[in-house]
Amino acid sequence: MGLDELLALLKTDTAIEIIAAVIKILVVLVVCLQVPPVMVWVERRAPAMMQRRKGPNRVGIFQWRLYGLIQSLADTVKLVFKQEVVPRGANKVAYHMAPIFGVFTALLIACAIPFGNDLMIFGQKIGLSVVRLDVGFLFILAISSLAVYTVTLAGWSSNSKYALLGSLRASAQMISYEIPLGMSLVPIVVIFGTLDLNQIVVSQGAFPWAWGVVRAPVSFLLFLICMFAETNRAPFDLAEGESELVAGFHTEYNSAKFAAFFLGEYVSMFVLSCLASTIFFGGWQAPFIPYETIVKLVGGYAWIAALIGFTVLILKASFFMWVYVWVRWTLPRFRYDQLMGLGWKFMLPVGLVNLLVTALVMAALEFH
Amino acid sequence: MISINHYLALATVMFLCGTLGVLFRRNLLLVLMSVELMLNAVNLVFVAGSRLVNNLDGQVMVFFIITVAACEAGVGLAMVIALYRRYGTVETSFLRMLRG
Amino acid sequence: MSQELMFYATAFLITVCSVMVVTNRNPVVSAIYLVGDLFLLAAVFASLDAHFVAAIQVLVYAGAIVVLFMFVIMLLNLGPEGKAHLRIPAPELAVLVLTIIGFTTIGTLLLTGQAPGVGGEWSPEAIQANGGNTFTIAMVLFTKFTWPFEISSILILLAVIAAIVIAKKDKKQVVHD
Repeated sequence: MGLDELLALLKTDTAIEIIAAVIKILVVLVVCLQVPPVMVWVERRAPAMMQRRKGPNRVGIFQWRLYGLIQSLADTVKLVFKQEVVPRGANKVAYHMAPIFGVFTALLIACAIPFGNDLMIFGQKIGLSVVRLDVGFLFILAISSLAVYTVTLAGWSSNSKYALLGSLRASAQMISYEIPLGMSLVPIVVIFGTLDLNQIVVSQGAFPWAWGVVRAPVSFLLFLICMFAETNRAPFDLAEGESELVAGFHTEYNSAKFAAFFLGEYVSMFVLSCLASTIFFGGWQAPFIPYETIVKLVGGYAWIAALIGFTVLILKASFFMWVYVWVRWTLPRFRYDQLMGLGWKFMLPVGLVNLLVTALVMAALEFH
Repeated sequence: MISINHYLALATVMFLCGTLGVLFRRNLLLVLMSVELMLNAVNLVFVAGSRLVNNLDGQVMVFFIITVAACEAGVGLAMVIALYRRYGTVETSFLRMLRG
Repeated sequence: MSQELMFYATAFLITVCSVMVVTNRNPVVSAIYLVGDLFLLAAVFASLDAHFVAAIQVLVYAGAIVVLFMFVIMLLNLGPEGKAHLRIPAPELAVLVLTIIGFTTIGTLLLTGQAPGVGGEWSPEAIQANGGNTFTIAMVLFTKFTWPFEISSILILLAVIAAIVIAKKDKKQVVHD
């Protein structure tokens, strides 16, 4: 086959589709997997800053210390090369599967998040998310509801009392907060009238007063609280309350599998941050500058505009990642009954009333 | 396009597995899980049929089946917990009060 | 062709998972296989253009119902069952009858031709033109099936109350531990 034929083959619709899909998957994968090392570093340096101490700042390359940024790399190397210890009486398959499943669900949610407007490449429309689903919203809820299996399986399979208790707590918490999470997102569907995430971003526009956070502020607050609860982060981290449960569901994990738990946790934090920016903060829309203007400003190259949109989304998500760290080192841990009471007796009713009010307002607007 | 009969065959396999589970498992929880399996076989038939005759009633029916299955699981599991508290077991062969 | 390959692979996996659910000795492992079963079934639904139902299937079945099962198994701390996890003596006649029924049904299904489809109003193209699968299902659900929908919400409410009443700890009762 000659070079011309090969080029012609590459320009067919199927080939473009496949190449675009591979590139999109690589982009999402690389970005998601870069988050944990950076976040581990932030999570050590930020509290150090808050508590007026130095934090890990030694590890570097030769004489360049880079504020200790290489510490995460060193930690990863250490964890990966450690000896694996599997507790006696553990259910081997479930024990090995649980951390992998955590990473898997987090990455699967990342697939549905749009990171740019539709691009035209060689006359073919390419949606900038790994999969463009018309039920993207439901897909995200469905997959995030699977994340609870990680915790359940990890706790049950390690054949340890601490792990079992921790996982019972964590899974009860995750099931309970799934409902307010869904409830907080339904008003968004009511307002924008679509389940397609990219459509939601497009209809929010570039101006902050049309964004989801302004149109549905109560939803945003509920979603923010549920974000912390769903990822088992402080102040809802009693699944791994060190003083009572050692480390909760991952007590019996070490070496690379322990690192995989961290990976899953940080990736799902990042994905939820992306989701919050997508739904409530205009996703890839740069504030105050509409997409068309950006395209015009960069001289009509849509891919540069897409790149800018991608950067904007990452920046917005980074803000939420910072909020995660900020809250963790600010608020104390909840008591378990307070946690359940907050979920069922406060957030669920508020979510229902919010949905009712939103629906009434939307109906009134339509009737008007 | 795959013939609908293949979907029906798959549903039959699932339904039979469910039936066998209900009939022959001792653990009450497994009996409930087998019932879920049977309900899912029915769901498959509904969706495949809905696609065949271009009518969405089948998919709406699946929606209702899932609702009912959720109720059934909730009440069933509550009963399992109550039984466990009362008798300390969930094996069907020990629960023979009604047999006299 | 690739679609058929996908279907047969999924069908094979579903069969394996279903058999494992019923035959496995460990309730937790059974629950895991049930999740696999439901997930694969959702994939089959998606291949049948029923995206909404596929999403709901994962959301409600795999994400809520089986989690409840798992939760109860862990709460009661049920270990693997002994050798007699299947009811013995197995009524061989019933097995025989069921197997015969099964093989006859499957054989008949696979050997006979396809049942003729009646042309309904919601072909895939019509659904696409109407605004997608979810929108059309919502339309059918809230016009033709309004009453069943309302009644199902009452059913859920009743189930919630019933579950709480049944599982509530009775102080007078003897608690076995």
